[in-house]
Amino acid sequence: MFQIPLRLLSTSIGRKVLMSITGLLLVGFLIVHLLGNLTLFMDDGGATFDAYSDALVSNPLLPLAELGLLLLFAAHIALGLRVSLQNREARGEPYVARATMGQATPGSRTMLISGLLVLIFLVIHLLDFRLHGGEEVHESIAAQVIERLRGGPGALIYCLGMAALGLHLSHALRSSLQSLGLADTRCYPCLARAGRFLAAVMALGFASFPLYFFFINKA
Amino acid sequence: MSHGNSNMRLTLHIWQQSGPAGRMETHVLDAVSPDVSFLEMLDMLNEQLIAAGKDVLAFDHDCREGICGMCSLVINGKPHGPETETTTCQLHMRSFNDGDTITIEPFRAKAMPVIKDLVIDRSALDRIVAAGGYVSVNAGNAQDANALPVPRHDAEKSMDAAACIGCAACVASCKNASAMLFVSAKVSQLALLPQGKPERTERVGKMVDAMDAAGFGNCTNEGECEAACPKGISIANIARLNREFLRSLVMPD
Repeated sequence: MFQIPLRLLSTSIGRKVLMSITGLLLVGFLIVHLLGNLTLFMDDGGATFDAYSDALVSNPLLPLAELGLLLLFAAHIALGLRVSLQNREARGEPYVARATMGQATPGSRTMLISGLLVLIFLVIHLLDFRLHGGEEVHESIAAQVIERLRGGPGALIYCLGMAALGLHLSHALRSSLQSLGLADTRCYPCLARAGRFLAAVMALGFASFPLYFFFINKA
Repeated sequence: MSHGNSNMRLTLHIWQQSGPAGRMETHVLDAVSPDVSFLEMLDMLNEQLIAAGKDVLAFDHDCREGICGMCSLVINGKPHGPETETTTCQLHMRSFNDGDTITIEPFRAKAMPVIKDLVIDRSALDRIVAAGGYVSVNAGNAQDANALPVPRHDAEKSMDAAACIGCAACVASCKNASAMLFVSAKVSQLALLPQGKPERTERVGKMVDAMDAAGFGNCTNEGECEAACPKGISIANIARLNREFLRSLVMPD
């Protein structure tokens, strides 16, 4: 019964499979998160967003979902660090001259860096709206979000965070499906395009909120 | 790129190593015909070194017709040089220009240490094949060709994977020094055919373990290996290796 998880954790392919599964589940979370955020665009002073937030917070299963999410992030990050460290080890003496064969992309080259930037962003994001900097807050969550995104530093941090996310996700889809063995010759170009599309939708989708509140709805 | 009969003058930056540490050395070579192969150009350099009373440069080669997998070299940052699907021995100096500076390094991976100069120890790849890259049944006499029906697509894919000459250009080009393309070709060529199927479950586990034990990196699915491969082995084989591995976990013998 423990054979499969142990094999997944102890082999190179297994660890990449786990990274793919956790990564895809995190993308699923991001999609739901983005859809929920869209309620911020409703011109009702954030009432719908607050109602959505209340529905989540009052759900008794929320702590369980949050724990699951935390475990997903922790597993994805821990495996990513493990794999990256091993990859650095594996070369030994570096090349004096290095040329790409033309298949590498900015996203594929920077998965570790973009991932760490997203992690930094995540910490800031959680401090902003989940832990409230350790303070007790009673005002509406929509008001807090809008206030944070209207400020120059807030808007900038959230846009930069989403740029890192977009870079990270640009290599995510084709890489994860390939690691899971779900890709084949015919679908590689299509997968690469779909991956870039997903990355663009996610990054621009989330960045639309700071951009909207900073440039358009300044009220 | 073409130079007719005009001869080229080249500056060569070459990795030279006899002990645990090495360094880049510079040589100038004159009168190189664009029609000689890259290895013949290195032969010329060695003759020049011998005439000067110096040690010759060690580099791997054997068949010089692109099928043995012995030649290697990272040339200006690319394994087997600038041409696609071409081994170093099949690369000709017409791919370079008069006055060029060419950087020549060994394939780099901790699992494949340098023995001398440009010669590396690729026995880690042999150990992976020895771990399971074979069919251990007594085949006996050749049987009727139609006794074991093989779908054409499977036969083609298996033959494409079997084109791997084990040169390790995939490892050399991978930013993680991963041997996944090599292992995937060796697993695929057998997994696709009826003769290889009885041992497919055991085989993939053993070969992946041998790959990990050798200290190769992990596959991050960039596809650089496929572009560097002199035999055009597709990364679709890596997806198949991943499938074979997962299959062996959920459907053990």
